[in-house]
Amino acid sequence: MAEVDLSDAEKIFIKHGVQDNCREDGRGCEDYRHIELETGLLSNTTGSARVRLANTDILAGVKAELGTPSPDKPNKGRLEFFVDCSANATPVFEGRGGEELAAEIGNILTRTYDCPSCFDLEALCIIPEEQCWILYVDVLLLECGGNLFDVASIAVKAALYNTKIPKVTVSRDEGLVELEISDDPYDVQRVEVQSAPCIVTVCKIGHSHVVDASLKEEACCLARLTMGVTERRTVTGVRKEGSGSLDPASLEDMMQTGKRVGELLNKSLMDSLLEEERQGSKKKPVGFLK
Amino acid sequence: MLTSKTFIKKTKTGKILKIVREHYLRDDITCGVESCRECDGPHTLEAASTSPSEMCQGEHLLCPDTNVILHQIDVIEDHRIRNVIILQTVLEEVRHRSIPIYKRLRDILCNPDKHFYSFCNEFNKHTYVEREAGESSNDRNDRAIREAVKWYNKHLQTSRQIQTLLLTNDADNRKKALDQGIQSYTIHQYVRSLKDGKDLVDRLSLSGSKVFSGDKVQYPEHLPLSAIQKGLKTGKYLQGKFMASRENYTEANVSVADQEKMIFIQGLQNLNRAVHDDIVAIEMLKEEDWTCPSSVILVHTEEKDDTDEEEEKENLEKKRRKVPKELRQPTGKVVGIIKRNWRQYCGMLQPSIIKQATRHLVVTADKRIPKIRIETRQAADLMGQRIVVAIDNWPRTSRYPQGHFVRKLGNVGDKETENEVLLLEHDIPHAGFSEAVLNCLPTLPWEITKEDMERREDFRDLDICSVDPPGCTDIDDALHCRDLPNGNLEVGVHIADVSHFIRPGTAIDKEAERRGTTVYLTDKRIDMVPELLSSNLCSLRSNVERFAFSVIWEITNDAEIVKARYAKSVIKSKAALTYAEAQMRIDDPSMTDAVTKSLRNLNRLAKILKKKRMEKGALTLASNEVRFHIDSETHDPIDVETKQIRETNSMVEEFMLLANVSTAQKTLQEFPDCSCLRRHPCPPPSNFDPLIKAAQSKGFRIDVSSGKALADSLERAVLPDDPYFNVMLRIMTTRCMAQAVYFCSGMLPPSEYIHYGLAAEIYTHFTSPIRRYSDIIVHRLLAVCIGADASYPELTDKYKTQAVCNNLNYRHKMAQYAGRASVNLHTHIFFKNRHVDNEGYVLFVRKNALQVLIPKYGLEATLYLDSKTVTFEYDEQEHTQTCGEKVFRVFDRVIVQLTIDQSNLQHLKLQTKLVEPKIEGFSVPPSTPSETSDEPPLKKKKKT
Repeated sequence: MAEVDLSDAEKIFIKHGVQDNCREDGRGCEDYRHIELETGLLSNTTGSARVRLANTDILAGVKAELGTPSPDKPNKGRLEFFVDCSANATPVFEGRGGEELAAEIGNILTRTYDCPSCFDLEALCIIPEEQCWILYVDVLLLECGGNLFDVASIAVKAALYNTKIPKVTVSRDEGLVELEISDDPYDVQRVEVQSAPCIVTVCKIGHSHVVDASLKEEACCLARLTMGVTERRTVTGVRKEGSGSLDPASLEDMMQTGKRVGELLNKSLMDSLLEEERQGSKKKPVGFLK
Repeated sequence: MLTSKTFIKKTKTGKILKIVREHYLRDDITCGVESCRECDGPHTLEAASTSPSEMCQGEHLLCPDTNVILHQIDVIEDHRIRNVIILQTVLEEVRHRSIPIYKRLRDILCNPDKHFYSFCNEFNKHTYVEREAGESSNDRNDRAIREAVKWYNKHLQTSRQIQTLLLTNDADNRKKALDQGIQSYTIHQYVRSLKDGKDLVDRLSLSGSKVFSGDKVQYPEHLPLSAIQKGLKTGKYLQGKFMASRENYTEANVSVADQEKMIFIQGLQNLNRAVHDDIVAIEMLKEEDWTCPSSVILVHTEEKDDTDEEEEKENLEKKRRKVPKELRQPTGKVVGIIKRNWRQYCGMLQPSIIKQATRHLVVTADKRIPKIRIETRQAADLMGQRIVVAIDNWPRTSRYPQGHFVRKLGNVGDKETENEVLLLEHDIPHAGFSEAVLNCLPTLPWEITKEDMERREDFRDLDICSVDPPGCTDIDDALHCRDLPNGNLEVGVHIADVSHFIRPGTAIDKEAERRGTTVYLTDKRIDMVPELLSSNLCSLRSNVERFAFSVIWEITNDAEIVKARYAKSVIKSKAALTYAEAQMRIDDPSMTDAVTKSLRNLNRLAKILKKKRMEKGALTLASNEVRFHIDSETHDPIDVETKQIRETNSMVEEFMLLANVSTAQKTLQEFPDCSCLRRHPCPPPSNFDPLIKAAQSKGFRIDVSSGKALADSLERAVLPDDPYFNVMLRIMTTRCMAQAVYFCSGMLPPSEYIHYGLAAEIYTHFTSPIRRYSDIIVHRLLAVCIGADASYPELTDKYKTQAVCNNLNYRHKMAQYAGRASVNLHTHIFFKNRHVDNEGYVLFVRKNALQVLIPKYGLEATLYLDSKTVTFEYDEQEHTQTCGEKVFRVFDRVIVQLTIDQSNLQHLKLQTKLVEPKIEGFSVPPSTPSETSDEPPLKKKKKT
């Protein structure tokens, strides 16, 4: 991951600030930075979203394709995540440099979404054991400014919200199954994302912890907890990262913070998405030309 | 401005793709109106100062919607409909729905007199509309059309008051338009309001307006396309081309792809409104319901119109006929129509019982097409005229399809009219050549330049001559023969170099490709290429320098080919001879000039070549070709003669065959994948059954195991006292054969290249490029082989070549049919005032008729055995008809009397009556000479 080198004095300054609930940019410990979000900007995907948080810029696209359900889950569709760390983001990603990070983000996304209550995969199944939709979620890192996991999960959720799968009707005739698609582009199936998780990364800095750490704060942090939290505070996955250790008490504390922040994050994300939807097609797409 | 069009597509493999196309909108698309000051684009639309319509007084433009174009193209084409905006939306929808109508619409758009303007509303920023949620694509297009009309109205307000009228027959659309303040009418309302358009009303198609006959449902419902497709996939239904029977309008066959045997369909219910040439879906009947053709000849006649009576008859017939198992054919019924292939049909009004009626039936010229119901107010005018009508629809409640009048051709019986009918019915493009095509012609005077001479071999000194039928102006082959120092002979076949003038991709090339072949009618020729080429620049006339494509062989005196070479050349023919003249020169020992000498040599070689070919198993087949002696003033035929075959005919033929085979070998060698060849498939042995049976009745055995065996057994089957027996056998053999077809070598395995009739491994057409397009392709291929010309991508594209071949096969077949129909027409004119007894031979015995061959006229007449006083018994096994003691068998000699039955003006029928052998109550007395002279006044009496 992109690193910044900090002197001890700088680190202490950040630590002390965090302890007093005042971070270098003036935020409190549980505040996110300003988030910019736009959906539906890639017309050739089934759903897409772009999220920018400070300098972190992530583009997520969803592509729906027909496939066969996996044999162990015959009546479910699938979500497949693929993360690409563009060398545009930082020169470190050049060549195979970003692969490790990409796999890490991909894994955690897969893990947090792999929870029956958070995402209805059965809705993606068309014919059990035969046909289902597979949603390929491609995440592209355009710029790195810290807190990649959270931003990636927001982008994924927004892209899934934006996803419009063509409606398929199944007709059976003497053993032959025929799939027909509607010719009306507005006749679509939406994906239910109400209870989809967002990832909240809680970083332990000194004796306190913060969410949405900037690059500098990440450099001061020895241990962090990455957790998927849904709107109803359900934790769908937790992972501890970093070289430092965490005692059970602070672990519990951090989990509580994560849940609290996660709930808020999910709610405000849904509000923004609904607001964007309300503006409808009148809204001029902003895209990358700002 | 940029928007995008998004649509979802399902691929063949079942993948679902979302496709996004960028769509750019512009603000500089002009309106095309002459008086508009804002736009400076082309001014196609002129504001007519006086309105042709009584309804809309002011200046106005018309804007029809898609369905108006699709259904009323005949009206739209009329010169009175002008100043029309064709929106891009409409144009695209038309293209999507019907290619022929799209082509016609494009032609109208190209015609400056029609003042049609195509407006790109889909690219105009002001008129583009996006599809909304819950809106079907049709609704969107309707809205786009309304939006465009609205824009026109607003746009033109600024300059002068010009109204734009929306023409649509969709009530909903009209209502929405009126709500938006757009003037909108149905096409019917508008045409009726035209001041001078009373006859145009007849041409309006009836679709959607009203149904004539009662509410009684007469046909089963057609299945929807989706159900058909499902059924086709599961094999429940079969898809095929519907081919109505000429002989019986309640019977038809459906040729199903990759199935050799046709599926038989019987009964109007089972035919279920399918019209000849439609692509239909059929369902097989249960095996016990299978039937076979009734072999009763049942033709639509003018009198019969009572539905119930006919149905009853049909039912009766079904009960009476218990079809024996071995005669049963696979039988099915039509369940749905996949694609209508309706075209315009020629026909005549059937006289109506009620005077002043506006609904009429049109009896079509093609016997395979049912009668068509139309509405017209000019019935009195149209009676006795040949007219063109189009089918609009065929509702379940109507016995006959419903259509509308398109145009009239002229009086029935007029030679011009009849020829027109013939050409229309056989889909032969016969309009004059377009300006674009004529522009491709070289300018006169045409001269051979120095560069031309450098690139070509100079054969001007050779003693080349051409041999053709008398009166031939498109001479495309010439020959020469001279001695070589080594004792061998040099033979040259020189073919007109048409490909020099017709360059690939030009308008003239495309037109020639479309026409495919020159069509010869008895008194008319419809050229494939303009006359300047066909009769002048390409025609190898005597004593002028012409370009040729030459094939030069070195041949031994035993007609063994030592070597062959090909060259583009310049020749100067020394003589253009007829077959008779050439024959005379050969036979006249006093003639010793160079041309005659080479003719003698050629003749000698040809005989050897022919013998060799016969030994290989080539068939000599007979057909009964006739020539008419035409009166120079009235152009009526005054005498008929069957074509004479002279030695010289076969001489020319022999060398043409040789040239064709040589070129086929050469091009195939260079282009194994994309040569244009001609094959004649081996007919299946079962085809020969009638021939074998017929020959057996006279005690001859016909061996059909191979071409050679067949040729030999035909050679042996000679009755000394009956000179026509062998000819008749050969005529029958011809009928058993399959059609020879053009094909592209890359599309078939080499084992199927063979030409059965000529006993050649491969064959092509090279020698008549003036009148056949296939030869032009072969010329181009050969030119590339010898490095005389450059190739081009389409020449080596086997799919393109095959597509061209398919068209050529179709055109070729149609040209043949048209030629035959023309001979028929002249036969009828010839027999119109004649009453003659002729000797004839029974060729086939049918259930209710005898086919009689009359050698004198090369004519086949049908002698119906449906007398009320005597009964004939038909033996299906032996193919005989018995009446009392008289038995009619194949090959029996009879005397028949030929007259023209004038009761049906559209189909003048040759009526045949038996004179000898005498059968009391059936045969007629021989005609006396006085009767012939009586005939003309009698006819006059009939007319008055």
